Amino acid sequence: MTMEEGSFTAGKRKRNLGKKKGNKAKNKKLKMLEGKGKKFRVSKKMRNLFEKRARDYNSDNEEEEEKEDTAEEAVPHDTPRGRGGDISFEGTDDSEGEEQEGGEIQPGIMRFTEGVRAFRLAFKNIIKRNVADDSLGPVLAGHKQLVAKKLAEEKAERKVKGEAKKEKHLVAEKGHVKPANYLDSQEKFLIGIATKGVVKLFNAVNKAQKAQKGLDPSRSKDAKVIRKRRKEAFFSELGKTSLPARDSSSKGNTSSDSMNDEGPAWAPLRDNYMLTNPKLKDWDKMADSTIVDDVGRMSEDSGSDDN
Amino acid sequence: MARFHNRKKKVFVKPIVKKQQQQQPNVDHITGNKIPKSFVFSRGKLPGPLRQLQMDLRKLMLPYTALKLKEKKRNNLKDFLNVAGPMGVTHFLILSKTETSPVLRVAKTPQGPTLTFKIHEYSLAVDIAQSQLRPRCPQDLFKNPPLIVLSGFAAADEQLRLTTTMFKNIFPDIDINTVKLSSCQRIVLLNYNKDTKLIDFRHYSIRLQPVGVSRRIRKFVQNHQVPDLRNLQDVSDFVTKAGYGSESEADEEAATVTLTSDLSRVNRASTKSAVKLQEIGPRMTLQLTKIEGGLCSGEVMFSEYGNGGNKKKPGNEGNEKEDSENDGQMEDSDEDDEADNEEDMEESGED
Repeated sequence: MTMEEGSFTAGKRKRNLGKKKGNKAKNKKLKMLEGKGKKFRVSKKMRNLFEKRARDYNSDNEEEEEKEDTAEEAVPHDTPRGRGGDISFEGTDDSEGEEQEGGEIQPGIMRFTEGVRAFRLAFKNIIKRNVADDSLGPVLAGHKQLVAKKLAEEKAERKVKGEAKKEKHLVAEKGHVKPANYLDSQEKFLIGIATKGVVKLFNAVNKAQKAQKGLDPSRSKDAKVIRKRRKEAFFSELGKTSLPARDSSSKGNTSSDSMNDEGPAWAPLRDNYMLTNPKLKDWDKMADSTIVDDVGRMSEDSGSDDN
Repeated sequence: MARFHNRKKKVFVKPIVKKQQQQQPNVDHITGNKIPKSFVFSRGKLPGPLRQLQMDLRKLMLPYTALKLKEKKRNNLKDFLNVAGPMGVTHFLILSKTETSPVLRVAKTPQGPTLTFKIHEYSLAVDIAQSQLRPRCPQDLFKNPPLIVLSGFAAADEQLRLTTTMFKNIFPDIDINTVKLSSCQRIVLLNYNKDTKLIDFRHYSIRLQPVGVSRRIRKFVQNHQVPDLRNLQDVSDFVTKAGYGSESEADEEAATVTLTSDLSRVNRASTKSAVKLQEIGPRMTLQLTKIEGGLCSGEVMFSEYGNGGNKKKPGNEGNEKEDSENDGQMEDSDEDDEADNEEDMEESGED
């Protein structure tokens, strides 16, 4: 096969050369690509490939061979020995064919096949090696113990890594508690407290907003009424002693009022101070109808200042 | 193609307009009080669950907080402080992690005191939702600020008083005369336990249910769905036949409110409604460990382990030292030398 192809290609090449001499340098590759399309495509391709490989091989070989001659004499010596011993039959045939071809056209191809031979020999060498140890098994798994050792090492490493990761996770989760599905007594107690707070607030809001029910605070007329009602509510709140929190706020109000009245410093601390003050009582007589409102306003104004 | 372009442009313009509308006021338009706003962020790298806790805290602080506050590793406290001024942010909630436990610092800006809490235990909102049969999350739950209830802080200790004022001021005030009850949807509870000196931090949603109405009718009014009458002899049975009574309805007589105005379809004016709380949001057990005069620096006004604390808890001493060291590391690198010196002093004082 190779011989035939070789001769064909050679002939064609000659013809080509004869035909196109003028623009050979530039169009050579293009023409060759065109030529591939028909009959001899494979052979041409292969030949190109071979040519290229041969060139490379040769160029490398020349340098390498010199080295090989000096440094490693084993490879060239081995090849003839192997050929002679085991595969002499085929080997010799090939070499003859190649010699004929290589001598004429391409010496690189022969070299290539020689390379194949070298590989074959190397492979054979491996196969030939007798394996004594049974536990080691086949050739390629020869280092089974080593592999096992490595696997064990990896496992240990992974274990250590996993532990480290676990530890890290534990640190990250520190203090993180998943709540129980049911409400324990503590939670019920807390909810009870919160509920009490909400109820207290809602009741206070309802009480406060009852006064201004049905009135629009944005309208000035209604706003007046609202203010009046608030004062009433505040005053009624003042009249009765109530929560300690409310106490403190009323204290603040009355103490600031006392500055205006110039009364005794500590007397205003009493809850009913406003109601029992003789001065206020006199003033009360002067304007009967508005007493409640005025006092309420005074106290409320001062209260808002405080806030 | 041109048409597509136009459409795209229109869509692109929209969010900008929205942003302008969304600007929050600094001052309550009714009462005129300044509205407290907050930043919730972290110092140092937080592990996953703590990052989730941070997100939960942000949701809790809604609507006056930066829900999508982006922080980078190189951001220091000063950066946040610089932004806080123009934005009207008054409080910082700072989460960080030490080797012993996570730490929550609550600080008032720009120079107010800083309370440092050690988080003994915490559960995320997700955990709590998972533990419940029917977790409840109405749409506008986070549109209004929560109420706050502080209980058990009656002790005359100065640090406790400071804690109460701090937490009172972290949420906007409510004006009893103008507040709408329908806007009170959530409540934050802080309960101080005298014996253990721990603060229980809980977050509940508030729900009102009319009292004395059978469950069937309540559901019917709420859902607008045609009831299933297959098993009934007569339509009147639907009203008269008592369903299963709520298990907790009997013992919660105290938890009822008489409304003056309509709250919703079900809760009408002058009807009695039961207040029901269901837990949402994060749950924390806090311990007050330190109060500093400045913002994460300055004079130490109170320390759980400081001074006399050494004799009480010798085992915790080393941990606390570690904590403070970690704090120092997490503190901004460019903090003043003065502050650093003070920290050193504090550490030596603990020794």
